[in-house]
Amino acid sequence: MEDRLVIAGREFGSRLFVGTGKFASCGVMAEALEKSGAEIVTVALRRVDIANENDDMLRVIDRDKYLLLVNTSGARDAAEAVRLARLSRAATGIEWIKLEVTPDAYYLLPDPVETLKAAEILVTEGFVVLPYINADPVLSKKLEDVGAATVMPLGSPIGSNQGLKTRAALEIIIAQANVPVVVDAGLGLPSHAAEAMEIGADAVLVNTAIATAAAPVEMAAAFRLAVEGGRMARLSGPGAVRTEASASSPLTGFLRND
Amino acid sequence: MEVLRINGVEKHFPADQFPSTLAELVEYLGFSAATVVAEINGKIVKSEHFGQTSLSAGQSIELLRFVGGG
Repeated sequence: MEDRLVIAGREFGSRLFVGTGKFASCGVMAEALEKSGAEIVTVALRRVDIANENDDMLRVIDRDKYLLLVNTSGARDAAEAVRLARLSRAATGIEWIKLEVTPDAYYLLPDPVETLKAAEILVTEGFVVLPYINADPVLSKKLEDVGAATVMPLGSPIGSNQGLKTRAALEIIIAQANVPVVVDAGLGLPSHAAEAMEIGADAVLVNTAIATAAAPVEMAAAFRLAVEGGRMARLSGPGAVRTEASASSPLTGFLRND
Repeated sequence: MEVLRINGVEKHFPADQFPSTLAELVEYLGFSAATVVAEINGKIVKSEHFGQTSLSAGQSIELLRFVGGG
């Protein structure tokens, strides 16, 4: 039986979501997305730049191949997030939204109160809501209760490459969740992504670590392998962790005279 | 001169050059309607309606598009 990721009744083969920010060019981005095997790709919504010609990055994202997951980055409160979500749906016809409410630009941590408020409104309006949150197990349950399709707890601040600083809390979220858990933000290396999958995450989202690598296309491939490997490991039932040794070679039949 | 507030900035048009529809404004600014997301006075306008959406002086227009993001 295939191990499929199911979100809001829709099935996916890939457990790696990829963001489209920070790439050196549309071409590199398209190639990296291809090599990543991702099926869900995030984008943002911003005012057009009146002074500059319009470059349409969506041109290189094949919407038959990738589910476009628009984020509400830039929103400082629930009202701004809801406004962006409605604009997104009107423009694309897609009901999925990555709910991101990050008022402080230094750490870009998500506001839990405004996120929950916006999630409740958006679920009522028929959106499929994927909320970006700190690794807060209580908040995760509240978001599930209001109908979020997943929770997306961070590993560490966006773009920081610090890895799973929130590991202990993530394990609690994973143990208690009845919706898919997508670890999003701060994953800097494929090993971080593998670790997230090994502790039981259903998927991960990576942007900076791929886009800003010296070789983004190869890094995308590396993340793909790591997510697949980590998931296989999780499904293979890893052994217990001990303080003392547990011999791998027999403790009998030694060649010795005592 | 007639004014439109576009993306938070006031733009003045001589009366005979005032864009009569949203489609005209988008074209004037050098964008393609297919890539632009619009709001007029807080109300969303879908791109297929740009041509039938007339503009009046003093309106506040937001024009957005999709960009890379995480």
